[in-house]
Amino acid sequence: MRHGPMTSSLSTEAPPTSTPALEVAGLTVTFPGAREVVALQDVDLQVRVGEFVAVVGPSGCGKSTLLRVLAGLTPAGARVSGRTTVGPATAWMPQRDGLLPWRRALPNALVGARIAGQDRATADARARELFDEFGLTGFERAWTHELSGGMRQRLALLRTCLPGRPVLLLDEPFGALDAITRRRMNAWLAGVDLAGHGRAVVLVTHDVDEALLLADRVVVLSDRPGRVVLDLRVPRDGTDGARRSLLEALDPEGTS
Amino acid sequence: MLLVGWEVGVRLSDLPAFVLPPPSQVARTAVEVAPLLGDDVATTLTEAGLGLLVGAVVGLLLAVLIAAFPLVSDTVYPLVTLTQTVPTVVLAPLLILWAGFGLLPKVVLVALTAFFPVLVASVTAMAAVDAEHAEMVAGLGGTRRHQFWLVQLPASVPGALGGLRVAATYAIGAAVVAEYLAGQSGLGVFVQRSRKGYEVDQILVAVALVAGLTGLLFLLVDGLARLATPWQRPSSTPRPGRTPA
Ligand SMILES: Nc1ncnc2c1ncn2[C@@H]1O[C@H](COP(=O)(O)OP(=O)(O)OP(=O)(O)O)[C@@H](O)[C@H]1O
Ligand SMILES: [Mg+2]
Repeated sequence: MRHGPMTSSLSTEAPPTSTPALEVAGLTVTFPGAREVVALQDVDLQVRVGEFVAVVGPSGCGKSTLLRVLAGLTPAGARVSGRTTVGPATAWMPQRDGLLPWRRALPNALVGARIAGQDRATADARARELFDEFGLTGFERAWTHELSGGMRQRLALLRTCLPGRPVLLLDEPFGALDAITRRRMNAWLAGVDLAGHGRAVVLVTHDVDEALLLADRVVVLSDRPGRVVLDLRVPRDGTDGARRSLLEALDPEGTS
Repeated sequence: MLLVGWEVGVRLSDLPAFVLPPPSQVARTAVEVAPLLGDDVATTLTEAGLGLLVGAVVGLLLAVLIAAFPLVSDTVYPLVTLTQTVPTVVLAPLLILWAGFGLLPKVVLVALTAFFPVLVASVTAMAAVDAEHAEMVAGLGGTRRHQFWLVQLPASVPGALGGLRVAATYAIGAAVVAEYLAGQSGLGVFVQRSRKGYEVDQILVAVALVAGLTGLLFLLVDGLARLATPWQRPSSTPRPGRTPA
């Protein structure tokens, strides 16, 4: 379900640019059935080239659904309306890792590179480097069921980053990680500047601090049906104010 | 236990040996004919093994076609099912007419019985591909070709091997029947000769051999299947002796 070609040329200019990498306008997604569920209602979201956007919101508000639409995947059995312009070259990381049980860890990491038609030897060498950076060294030949939940997530992230697609769509990539590993992976993500070099990232997360650390912009979705209730540019200096407004938007009744 | 009951039963009831010989006599016969059976066993095993191989390859290829082209599925599947309704006894003379008395018609007959379980199991496995895996490939920009090579085909392997296990249990029997109907060598021919001479003890030796060889073939295929799917972990058995308070 890819609507039209992406208009931007994915140049290697440094951010910020005003070229949209992907855009949805008036997006409504409904799951019909005995108990009809409106997962997203009238969502507008624009991600520009060079931008790192985090999406936060309560569980079940439609974050994964939004990411699927951005990835050009129609959620099974869903009614989708609205205008979506997504690039042909996105790499999507599912919330469940999607690892293939019949491939060992390293061949799993290479799936994306193979689809992108990358040179085998180069991809292999790069994957081995990333295994080291992701703390997966020594598990290259492990079967997926021999990996812990957090290791599986890191492997899935590796698989998604390896092909070097210009747009990354990451659905809670660190949900299963402990605080320390999570911080290390956050540091890695912040360090590689995934959104640089004419690229863009959309990251779904439950962690407001993670969103503030990594993203240039944070989008808050309301409880189901998901609507955008806040679209906040993260200030470079001091995120305390931003943090407060995010928490307020997430919990409008304001228990605190 | 069963054997003792059989031995005692036969001795007490005075059954003539050409109806049901006691196991001790069958065992004696087995030792006597064993040196003569080498060639027959080799023939039967060759037919069963080749037939199984051909059947597995044909079954898997057909499954791939059916998965790749829905149109093929609609036309070929019913036809293929039809071939399974024709009994061997009818098919064997036709095959002999077309392919002669040699190895070929037996291999074809075994292949015809063997490919079906492989086909059905593979088609089912390919159709039941995990949506999670298919979506992952699509989400990385994968095409239908990628879906096939990365997900559908490997996902069908355990299913196909399950079908092959079933096929392996039929293979020896199918080969023996084919030989019995028209053969120059093989266990089926041995049974045919023994029947003409009312040598029930020899037939029983053949029956035991067929059972034993089928068991061996099954174990072999099972072992190969395990080797071919190293990612499948042995199912964990719940530890006994732990009852919740
Ligand atoms: N395939 C589907 N069929 C029917 N309903 C669905 C389907 N996928 C999602 N939904 C519904 O859409 C809503 C949003 O689901 P989604 O997975 O997008 O939530 P989420 O924000 O990612 O939640 P979480 O934070 O728990 O991952 C939920 O109410 C869910 O029940
Ligand atoms: Mg989700």
